Amino acid sequence: MGPARRSSPTTGAAGEEAAALARRRQGMLLASPGALYLLIFFVVPLGLITVYSFATRTSTGRTSLSGWNVESYRAIGDDIIVGIIGRSAWLATLTTVLCVVVGYPFAYYIATRPRHVRAVLLVMVMIPFWTNALVRVFAIRFLLGSNGPASALSESLGFGTFRILFTPTAVTIGMVYSFLTFMVLPLYVALERMDWSLTEAARDLYASGAKAFWKVTLPLTRSGIVAGCVLVFVPSFGSYVVPDILGGAKTLLIGSYIARQFRDARNWPLGASLSVLLIVAMLVAVALNQRSGSGAEDRDRPRPRKWGRAPDEAEAAAVAS
Amino acid sequence: MTEAVAAVEIEGVTKRFGEVVAVDNVDLAIGDGEFFALLGPSGCGKTTTLRMIAGLDLPTEGSLRIFGEEVGMAPPDRRPVNTVFQAYALFPHMTVRQNIEFGLRMRRVKNPELSQRVAEATGMVRLAGMEERRPDQLSGGQQQRVALARALVNQPKVLLLDEPLGALDLKLRQEMQQELKALQREVGITFVFVTHDQEEALAMSERIGVMSEGRLLQVGTPREIYDRPASRFVADFIGRTNILEASVESASTVRLDNGALIEAETSTPAGSRVAVSLRPERVRLQPHGTTAAEGSSLDGEVRDITYLGHAVVYEVAAGPVSIEVRVEGEVGEPFAAGDEVTVAWDRGAAAVVAD
Repeated sequence: MGPARRSSPTTGAAGEEAAALARRRQGMLLASPGALYLLIFFVVPLGLITVYSFATRTSTGRTSLSGWNVESYRAIGDDIIVGIIGRSAWLATLTTVLCVVVGYPFAYYIATRPRHVRAVLLVMVMIPFWTNALVRVFAIRFLLGSNGPASALSESLGFGTFRILFTPTAVTIGMVYSFLTFMVLPLYVALERMDWSLTEAARDLYASGAKAFWKVTLPLTRSGIVAGCVLVFVPSFGSYVVPDILGGAKTLLIGSYIARQFRDARNWPLGASLSVLLIVAMLVAVALNQRSGSGAEDRDRPRPRKWGRAPDEAEAAAVAS
Repeated sequence: MTEAVAAVEIEGVTKRFGEVVAVDNVDLAIGDGEFFALLGPSGCGKTTTLRMIAGLDLPTEGSLRIFGEEVGMAPPDRRPVNTVFQAYALFPHMTVRQNIEFGLRMRRVKNPELSQRVAEATGMVRLAGMEERRPDQLSGGQQQRVALARALVNQPKVLLLDEPLGALDLKLRQEMQQELKALQREVGITFVFVTHDQEEALAMSERIGVMSEGRLLQVGTPREIYDRPASRFVADFIGRTNILEASVESASTVRLDNGALIEAETSTPAGSRVAVSLRPERVRLQPHGTTAAEGSSLDGEVRDITYLGHAVVYEVAAGPVSIEVRVEGEVGEPFAAGDEVTVAWDRGAAAVVAD
């Protein structure tokens, strides 16, 4: 093809340039609705939040846009707020770990079924995801309540009733339930792509079943685990609905605290600066994850193929929550 | 081989996947140090048989011994065999060295010995200097060598190879055939390899087992399989052949369905329906009416001529049957389409095969 084009260099080059321009224009045209939407409903509000984070709260609870300062950022150093952030981070970590522990065997099971069974199981994973989040969390609240079925079961087994509603345990249960889908799906994708002849090769090379899993399956599905962890950790960290419904006063998390600043405490600058902090922290975490994903130790597979998508989804999740 | 213990001994092994019988009551003994090929079309059960020797599939019935030890139900990590997988199955997240070391590490071989054996295996397959590369940085031929080294470094009693050359292009495949043969002589390990390529099987192995639809149809040396196929399927699957319908006349003659009486040794009783296999390159074309001093002949007419470069293939119609004649090493084409000719062959060229 090359030599033929080169025979008439001027027209060829000009033609190619025109074609490239047309392609670019077409691309922009296709992207513009989405770009416009993001600009209006994401970039602009984010800019507003950033602006508000440097504003001042007046004594009447209004927000004064005159006199820029970093007072509200300084307030984040307050022991109470640091405690809330720490608790949020801890519960999000716990949720993520539990999601891996519950989600990995589950995804493994689905991925190793025959094709038609897989489709059914995946739909079953998705069903709760399609149900209203609020409804699901209230269902859990009923389930865990001291008059609920879980407690009744425990009592009939002789363990007595329990009160876990409005505790961190209840919040963790609720968050694991709410975000498990985000873990299962990327894990499923990674496991479904897994070349099982590799585990057979490991078994053939004297690895026990457990060793083959540890040395081959797990490292080769690492990208799925990382993606799942980002997708679970990010929304759990900023989670607002679940701790609000299942948690008590002792489980005030950062998401609810921010909501409070905007609604009840009328301290918009503090809420805004906490939001900014949260977004920056998420972006840093995502960036670190991505870097470790292409890092020296686990360059799994030809690079570009795998979860190049994950960070975008994580960002989307961060925006959504 | 009567005295010595067989390297692999399969006795009445059947493998069913649900309703499907993948391997049907197979008996087979493979000798120590033998280069053995399991040959057959796809879906004939050859790979399943190999996987059962490896322990990756377990037999539904029957017994499987490796050097006398029953291993039929043992997991793959408890068998003294290693496998070269079809698409190599190299661990993509490990370097060449880590791949080769894997089996030794799993068996807790410690360092002076570990690195020495890895170096030996790497040298044996001419991969020295590539140790730190990843599989995706290697060519197909190099990946194949890594797969070989990864298996051989464990000094298995039997090496299993599943279509080892299938992914390579023709030229490389022919090179690797020679290399594998040389390698097998060097290490002296029993090689069992699975292939659907009959030329590969003929060129490489000491004995071949031909499989079809889960059954082992014939086991023999390449020469036996090619010259004395036991059945119509084997005759047809290995190389090209003319299959002529016939019935047995006596222990040394059969009558073709077109009426011609030809010489062919057979132990099948007179009157039985049989088929005669006549290899295209074992028959020759003569001017019409000339008869051979010995052997048999048929008269016919040239229908079609195909020029292949190194050979010319004539299609000769002899009554209702069509016979393919392959002539090699002849300059020019002495016969043209429409010529009356005589197809002749030496005694012993025609093989009677059971139906």
